[in-house]
Amino acid sequence: MSVFLHEYQPYSGRTTALWSRPLVLARYGLQEAWSSKITIGLFVLSLLPCLVEMVMIYVADNPVARMLIVRGDSVLEINEKFFLSVLETQCWFALVLASWVAPRLLSFDLGDNALPILLSHPITRFGYLAGKFIAVFVMLSYVTWFPCLILFVYQSYASPQPWAMSHLGVAIGIFVGSIVWIVLLSLVGLAVSSWVKWRVIATGAIFAVVFVPAGVGGIAMAILRTKWGLLLNVPVVMTELWMRLLGVPPFGNPRLWLPTGAIITVLIAAGLMCIAVLNARIRAREVVRG
Amino acid sequence: MTPANDTIRFENVSKFYGEVLGVNRITLTLGPGITTLVGPNGSGKTTLMNLMTGLVQPSRGTISVLGLEPANATQFFCNVGYCAQFDSFPRGLTGFQFVLDGLMLFGMSDEDAHGLTAESLERVQLDAAAARRNIAGYSKGMRQKIRLAQAIAHHPRVLVLDEPLNGLDPMARAESLALFQELGRQGMHVVISSHILDEVDRISDRVVLITGGYLIAQGNIHEVRQEVRDKPMQVLVRCNSPELLASKMFAVNHCVEARLHTDGHGVFVRTADIDQFYRVLNEIAVEGLVKIEAVAPADDNANAIYQYLIGSDGSAA
Amino acid sequence: MGVIELDRLEVQLGGRTVLNGLTGELRGHAIGLLGPNGAGKSTLINTLLGFHEPAAGRARILEMDVHFERMRIRQSVGYMPENDSFIGNMSGVRFVRYMAELSGLPANEALERAHEALFFVGLGEVRYRKVSTYSLGMKQLIKLAQALAHGPRLLILDEPTNGLDPMARQRMIQLIKDIRRQGGTRLLISSHLLRDIDETCDEVLILNKGRIAAISNIEEERRSHRNFIELEMAGSTEGFAAKMRSLGCECACFPGGRVKLVMPDVLSARDLYVAATEQGVQIRRIQQRRDSLEDIFLRAMEYEGGRVDHVSLPA
Repeated sequence: MSVFLHEYQPYSGRTTALWSRPLVLARYGLQEAWSSKITIGLFVLSLLPCLVEMVMIYVADNPVARMLIVRGDSVLEINEKFFLSVLETQCWFALVLASWVAPRLLSFDLGDNALPILLSHPITRFGYLAGKFIAVFVMLSYVTWFPCLILFVYQSYASPQPWAMSHLGVAIGIFVGSIVWIVLLSLVGLAVSSWVKWRVIATGAIFAVVFVPAGVGGIAMAILRTKWGLLLNVPVVMTELWMRLLGVPPFGNPRLWLPTGAIITVLIAAGLMCIAVLNARIRAREVVRG
Repeated sequence: MTPANDTIRFENVSKFYGEVLGVNRITLTLGPGITTLVGPNGSGKTTLMNLMTGLVQPSRGTISVLGLEPANATQFFCNVGYCAQFDSFPRGLTGFQFVLDGLMLFGMSDEDAHGLTAESLERVQLDAAAARRNIAGYSKGMRQKIRLAQAIAHHPRVLVLDEPLNGLDPMARAESLALFQELGRQGMHVVISSHILDEVDRISDRVVLITGGYLIAQGNIHEVRQEVRDKPMQVLVRCNSPELLASKMFAVNHCVEARLHTDGHGVFVRTADIDQFYRVLNEIAVEGLVKIEAVAPADDNANAIYQYLIGSDGSAA
Repeated sequence: MGVIELDRLEVQLGGRTVLNGLTGELRGHAIGLLGPNGAGKSTLINTLLGFHEPAAGRARILEMDVHFERMRIRQSVGYMPENDSFIGNMSGVRFVRYMAELSGLPANEALERAHEALFFVGLGEVRYRKVSTYSLGMKQLIKLAQALAHGPRLLILDEPTNGLDPMARQRMIQLIKDIRRQGGTRLLISSHLLRDIDETCDEVLILNKGRIAAISNIEEERRSHRNFIELEMAGSTEGFAAKMRSLGCECACFPGGRVKLVMPDVLSARDLYVAATEQGVQIRRIQQRRDSLEDIFLRAMEYEGGRVDHVSLPA
C-alpha cells in the first residue's frame, strides 16, 4: 500500500507535427457542426434530390421501367443538361448548409473572445482559418461533387450503351464546378461569420451576400443599359460557369452572354474580398487607434 | 445613538428574484465613515448595493438612507452616488461628456455642471487630455476612474462603490484609497465592496460580512474579531527556537494552542488572554534563552475574520 | 540561461511607439511584471507571444527569438489571458483537451493531460459542464488548466487573481507556488496587486511609459535590510525611544504606539525587550521592515525619465 501524490508534472511524450494542427481545428469544427440536429436534418434534406435523381436514372436506363412508367415517351434523357440540373440543385442546397454551418464554426470562438488563447498555441492565423475552411469544405463536399459523381458512376453502370467515356467531360465539369462553388461559399461563409456577431443573423447575411448583389446588378443593368451588371448576379454567373464546364450549349439572349474571363475574374475578386475581411477580423488583439 | 437622518438603515430586508435568493432578513445600520462590504462572489453584495442605491426595491422590509426612502426618487438620487462593477458605457462619448451628461440630469446650469465635472476629474486624477478622448479607447484603469468620477461629481452624501480598485495599478490604488479616506473623514457614508482584504483593513471603520444572502457580521474589525470567541486570538512569534518558546508558553494556563510554523522558525500561539500573553512574552525575551525576531498578531484582520466566519466554501462556518 | 532577454526591443502600435528600447535579462523562477496602466505590460506580453512584430531590436524567450521562432515559442508557452477567453459551447474537459491537441499532444494523451490539469487546479465535476455556465472563479481556473495541460516551460499569467474572492485568491496563489516549487516551469506573472507578486515572485520587471523602470531581485532585497525594525507598543513610547537612541539607534515615534528604528548590528531584539521592560512598556509587535516591493515600485516610478536602473545589492 502506498500513498500517491499527484503533483503537476511537465509533459515529456511525443508531439504531433506542426502542419497537422489545422487538421485538429478541422476535426473539432466538424464535430461541432455535426453535434447539431439541424445540421443532420439539412444534410439529409440535401441528399433527397439525389435519391430522386437516382430513381430517374434507373427509369431512364431501364427499358422495362420506361415502358411501365413513362409509357415509352422519351421525355427523360440522361445527358449534360440532366447533370447540370443535378449540380445546380446540390449546389444551392450546399448554400443552405453552408449558411448554417459556417457561423457555427466561427461565432463560438469569436463570441467568447477565444482567439487570444487559440492563437497563443502553435497555430498561425492562416492555419486557424485553414482548419475552419477544411471543415466547411469537407462538409459541403459531401453534398455536392460527392453525390453527383456517384450518380455519374451509377449512370455509367446502368446505361445500356457505353456512356462514361464519351461523357467524361461531364464528370470533370461536375468536379471542377463543385470545387469552385464550394471554395467561394466557404470563404463567403467564414467571412460573413467573422463580421457578424450573432449566428442567426450571420445565416441570413450569407444568403443576403449571395443574392442581394443580383438586385444591385439588375439596377445597374437597367440604368446603364449594360450586360455587365449580370456579373453581380451570382445565380446567373454560376449557371453560366457550370454550363460551360459541363458542355451544355448556351441558351437565351446572345447579347447577355458573359465571357468566361469576366466570370473567373469576378469569382476571384469575391474570394479575395473575403480573405481581406477575414484578415481584418481574425486577430488576437484589437488595436484601438487614437 | 446617531439620528435617523445620519445613517443608512435596513430593517428586516429581504430581496428575492423570483425564487432566487438575493438577500434574506438583513438588519443593518451604517453610520458615516467607510464601511467595507466583504463576501464571496454571489453572496448578495451587489444586491445589497442595489438596494442601498434604490435600483431595486426590497421584497420585504424597509430601507432608509439618511432618512430618505428610495421610493422618493428625485431627492434620493441627489444624495447617492453609485460606481458599479460593470464595465459598460454609452457608445460614442468622451469621458468628459459622460460625467457632464450625468450631472446635467440633476437640472443644474451648464456652468455649474462644467465646473463640477472638471473638479471631479481632477479628484480622481484623470488628466484633461485623456478626458477628451473617447471612452472606447480607455484602458481598464481609466474606465474605473471615469466611473468613480461620475459617482462623486454631484457631491453625494452616500457613496456606494462596487470593487472600485479593480484594474488599477498600485499607485492609482493608493490614490483612490486616500481619496476614499478623505471622503470618509468629511462625513460621507462610503460603502466599498472589495475582495482585497488587506486594503480593506487599512482604511475601513467598520466591516460587513455577507454570504449566501445572509448577514454574518458587522462592526469594527477588532470588535468583530474579539466576538469570534471560539477562535482565540492568534499571534505569530518568529524566533530561533520555537519549540522552547512553545514549551514556555504552555507553562502558563491561558495558552490554548501552540503550532510550529512549517519553516521551523516560528510558532503560532493561541491565547485566551492577549494582555497576559504579551507580558509573558516580554519576560521570556528579556530572559534571553529565546532570541525573538518578530512578533505579529496573526488574525486580527479582515482576512482571518473572513476565513473563520465564511470559510473556504463560501458558506457560513 | 535567461528566461527572457530583451535587446533594445521597440514595438509600435497604431503609429505610436508603445515599447521603447527595452534592454535587460531576467533569470528568475517566477518573474513579476509590474507597471502603471498604459506602461506597456500587455504589449510586452503580446510581443513575447508573437502577436506583435518588433519594430526594432530583439527579444528572446528561453533562448528562442520572439519573432522568428514564434511557433516554437508557442509550443513551450502557456498563456492565461486577463480577460474572459473561452469557447462557451464546449465542456471544460473538451476545451482543455482541444487546447492541448493544438499544442501538439496526440488525442488520447491530450485527454489524459486535460484531466490531470483539471485535477491539479481543482475543478471537479464542473469540468463536464459547458464553460459558459461557469462562475468567474471557475473561468479563471479553466484558463489556468488549459495553459498547463501541455506542460509548458514558461507560464504567462495575466492578472491571475482578477475578480476572485479572498478564498479563491489564496487558492490561486497556492497553485502558483506549487507550480513554482515543482521547478520545471518558469512563470511570468503580471499583476496590479503587489502582495500577490511579493508572495510568488523572486524577480520583478517594472515598466513605465514603455521603458524599463527597474529590474529587481526581490530575494536579494529581502536578505538585506535586516536592521529596519517597526514596533507597536502599549504604553508611553517617549522614554523607550530616548533609551534606544542612547544605545545608538535612529528612532522615530508615531501615533498609535508605533515606533520605527534602525538598529546597529551590535544590538538585537533582546535589547529592545530589555529597554521596554526598563521603561515599563509592552512590545506588542516587532516586524523587520524589509525593503518591500511597494518601496521598490515607488522608487522605480520616481525615475520619470525611464532610465534602466538595476536595483540589486552586492551579494
